[in-house]
Amino acid sequence: MEITRRNFIAGVGGVGALSLALAACGGSPKSSGSGTGKVDGTGKTLTVLVSTKPQYPDEQKAWFAQTAADFKTLTGAGIQWETYPTANDEMTRIQTSVVSGTGPDVYGLGTTFTPTAYSTGAFVKLGDAEWNQVGGKDKFVPATLGISGPDANNQIGIPFVSRPFVMAYNTELLKAAGIEKPATTWDEFADHGKKMTKAGQYGLAIAYKDNFDPWKFIWGMSIQGGNPIIDGKKVRIDDPTVLAAYEAYFGWMTKDKSVDPAAVGWGNAQALAAFAAGKAGYFPMTSPLSIPTLDKSAVKGKYKYALLPMVPPGQTARPSGGVAAASILSGDNLVVADYSPNKDLAFAFIKMITDTAAQANYYKIFGEIPTNVEAAKALQSDPLVAPALDAASKSVATPFSGAWGDVQLALTNVAVQTIPDLSSGSVSEASLAGRLKDAQSKAQAALDRAK
Amino acid sequence: MSSEIAGDTLRDELSRPAGQQKAPHGKKRKGVTERDRPLWLLAPGGILITVIILIPLVLAVYMSVIDLDQYTLRKWLATPFIGIENFVEAITKTDLLRSIWISVSFAVISTVVTVPLGVAAAVVTQNPYRGRAVVRAVFLIPYVLPSFVVATVWRTMLQPDGIVNGVLHNVGIDPGLWLNGPLSYWTLVFVEIWAAWPFVYLLALAGLQSVDHEVHEAAAIDGALWWRKLREVIFPYLKGPVSLAFLLGTLNHINNFTLPFVLFGAPAPADVNVLPILVYVTSFQSFRFGLSAAMAVVSLILIAIPLFIYLRAVKLDVSDDGGKK
Repeated sequence: MEITRRNFIAGVGGVGALSLALAACGGSPKSSGSGTGKVDGTGKTLTVLVSTKPQYPDEQKAWFAQTAADFKTLTGAGIQWETYPTANDEMTRIQTSVVSGTGPDVYGLGTTFTPTAYSTGAFVKLGDAEWNQVGGKDKFVPATLGISGPDANNQIGIPFVSRPFVMAYNTELLKAAGIEKPATTWDEFADHGKKMTKAGQYGLAIAYKDNFDPWKFIWGMSIQGGNPIIDGKKVRIDDPTVLAAYEAYFGWMTKDKSVDPAAVGWGNAQALAAFAAGKAGYFPMTSPLSIPTLDKSAVKGKYKYALLPMVPPGQTARPSGGVAAASILSGDNLVVADYSPNKDLAFAFIKMITDTAAQANYYKIFGEIPTNVEAAKALQSDPLVAPALDAASKSVATPFSGAWGDVQLALTNVAVQTIPDLSSGSVSEASLAGRLKDAQSKAQAALDRAK
Repeated sequence: MSSEIAGDTLRDELSRPAGQQKAPHGKKRKGVTERDRPLWLLAPGGILITVIILIPLVLAVYMSVIDLDQYTLRKWLATPFIGIENFVEAITKTDLLRSIWISVSFAVISTVVTVPLGVAAAVVTQNPYRGRAVVRAVFLIPYVLPSFVVATVWRTMLQPDGIVNGVLHNVGIDPGLWLNGPLSYWTLVFVEIWAAWPFVYLLALAGLQSVDHEVHEAAAIDGALWWRKLREVIFPYLKGPVSLAFLLGTLNHINNFTLPFVLFGAPAPADVNVLPILVYVTSFQSFRFGLSAAMAVVSLILIAIPLFIYLRAVKLDVSDDGGKK
């Protein structure tokens, strides 16, 4: 579909006009239960919006059917599943629902989108009663609650799955280069990359063209250097820590030559493919979701995961104020729409799918790390997944601000606009500084608007 | 004939500048076709135009003067009115003017190249010959492929380690990056031309089909050679369809979102930050709906001015015979 001005306006504005009509016909919503005890949802339908799983279409269909059957047994209510294929579709669905005041009861949101969703004010804030309805806060891994809301008293997101970022490494290539254990500092990481690079093989697989990876590297290195990027009312993209992060990130290709020159056109999937073909030693910024791909590839049995380095570039130890961030706090949160007439049913549903057995089952089917404490603990015995669980507990939430989307966009844009320089083999500090200045002013303007 | 009367009357109405007194000859009694015309028959079209064009247009203008963003989206009817602030911001603090320039130049170049290509292809397939049906079918392939598919295939081929660079490398050429940097603009133009020329071809073909057989015979009897016949006999028939193709083609290029979005992603490289991508990013990644609506309104006005001049020049709106004259 071509999204033109008119489509966009019809989408956002037209739905708004429609919402008036719907609101007039809709009547007042009623709650479906008392808030405690068993929820009776007989004759009702709960609408749930989650992302599609392109890797597991049949498994997802089966999980939908089984979960709906279990929910019917539990409450008597049916479930209508809706899915979105991309983050952009997710945003469009949420925006139209927010404007119209109608739509799904429960949304599965990417964690970094939670601040934006919070800023719309369209989702239920979780008080003690709501947390009790889903089985209590204690049942969740504490770190996973880090991006549920701006503070403990203003939360909207209930953690569903954790998707911490780790680094995959090729055990044979590391051994051949005489590297005993994976890098723990970014300088060591760059050094290992150089050691493993030789004809037909590169030390590092980096997705420079990816729409998400670049900002994750930059934010991670910056916060390890003590700069959370959004610091109160100030954006700190023009900070030396950010410049150092970009220089290290681009330097792997321009200075160290440890990355395939074709990586200037790679998304995360292509970087994974290069690692899976045994042509790269390290593949940072991946998660256990890559296990199915890697287990069918040339590196089956020859790869492991490790924590991403946690010491910023140019340093041998974290400076004072630096944060031991192994990963951004990543995964999916569940939120309940404020307009939903089925809130009690929604919380009963969330309780059901975040209970230990359901979370363990979900991991078994999709490889998604549980947020449920008991289910996560049970996985610690698996040496392949253990580093990811460790990363989940050492994940740090990106700043909870409605402006985060713009900061993320600005950081990604710096990488996008630098790709021609990267391809030509040198990124000058002056051009990088100019782009950072531009990113700073755009992100600061967004933060100034934040309410 | 009554149709001629109607045609003349309509032309008179349209060609008279607004506010001017009707010329004396226009004071004659209304023709039979002007009396008791069942105008209500226009209602279905009118309702559609209202719903599809007018209401969104009014909403766009309304959105452009309010501070609509992620914080106010939920209560958008109560969003504060900020007058022209969005417009000032769009023009002074965003890449809007640059994006308009990129979009318009890209669209005009694409159209200028696709028009002769399309007309030539139509002429080539006008006369019957063995295999003409196959050639015509092949010509339509780029047009029937969805934009998404076209962009995905080209994006794959134009990767730094893709097939295009592979072939060029073998003959000793190192073109560099196609999908970012200065070359990306020409990539966009090239792929757009590849995908869009059959549209001109189709319209030109329709124009050629309307040339009467007698005209060909008369030209042959008069001894006109092929080029003269083409230039002085056939091309005048194509003026209407090709003008229309020029207009619709240019607007389609300006509004094409899918092709640049799939080819380059968002945020787009600066050289291909076309208008639809800028509006999209402002709306759906920065959530500045008011600002993006202002951008849309500004670009609508800027594009409407040359469009209006062009429409007047080619008289697409008043010609009753498809430009055959």
